[in-house]
Amino acid sequence: MKIALRIALLAVIAGAGFWLWTVWFPSPQMIVLKKISSLAATASLNAGDGNITRAAKVSNFIGYFSTDAEIVCDVPELGAHTLSGRDEIRQMAAGVFTQMTSLKVQFLDAVAHVGADKESARVSCTARVSANDSKDFGVQELNFQFKKIDGDWLITRAETVKTLQ
Amino acid sequence: MLVGRRPRTTLLRIFVLAVASFLVFNFVLLPIRVVGISMEPTYHDRSINCVNHLAYLSHEPKRGEVVSIRLSEPRWFARPKEMFMKRIIAVPGENVSFHEGHAYINGQLLDEPYLKLPCDWEHAPMQCGPDQYYVVGDNRSMPFADHTQGRVERSRILGKVLL
Repeated sequence: MKIALRIALLAVIAGAGFWLWTVWFPSPQMIVLKKISSLAATASLNAGDGNITRAAKVSNFIGYFSTDAEIVCDVPELGAHTLSGRDEIRQMAAGVFTQMTSLKVQFLDAVAHVGADKESARVSCTARVSANDSKDFGVQELNFQFKKIDGDWLITRAETVKTLQ
Repeated sequence: MLVGRRPRTTLLRIFVLAVASFLVFNFVLLPIRVVGISMEPTYHDRSINCVNHLAYLSHEPKRGEVVSIRLSEPRWFARPKEMFMKRIIAVPGENVSFHEGHAYINGQLLDEPYLKLPCDWEHAPMQCGPDQYYVVGDNRSMPFADHTQGRVERSRILGKVLL
């Protein structure tokens, strides 16, 4: 019984050690997945958010993208659009954040692939978006390209994917 | 608390039941909730169903079957949170077109008794690739462009809708 207890204790310590290791030294994969998750939180708006909060959100949102980032959107409801560079992305974000009463964005089922150079990564996920407290929502498959720039992982390209062709 | 005369056996049973439920509902029968009207009147908005994840282990998907389709890449030990639910109307290599609201496969009218709502779709033939299936909802009362449909790779078909 004593041996079993010791083994169990060792397993718990090893598990806690591994968890701490991943917290202190996260892998690039974990970093980009965390980025995607926090991007969704930044892109979400509450009905009670004031103008200052919304302006701050636009600023935070831009911070996830590289200066030459591209957003390629091709969905039936919105048509095909390409945004190039932070200025165009900022304009789009400001427009959306001003017009919407509330917005809930989630990036689900995210899978990250880190390049062999450990300086680039691709994330595939499903975006679930609901606007203005509606129970209905839209889903869209997305791909994000990340690049490590000055020690920070930034999105260089975000594009919609046609699941059904 | 009621645990019976043999608490150890009860605990073991609870453990086995929990593990079995976890395995069944994560890897065999995936519980889903239908959201949207694209499969009306066969499947209603907010209804509950299950996807048989093992349905296509022994055979390939067939025309007429309602399947679930994943939108993102597969992840180990995690089932997708969002899936499309559509009906297969054409299998690999076939040609799909719509004329006066009816689907035609390789030029032949497809009998679709599950369609109850009016449809006026017109679309030129679309060829399925060697690994592609054409999927569409049962509610075709909206314009063609507003209905999520099209060709999907076999690898994205997750399983067959059970009920």
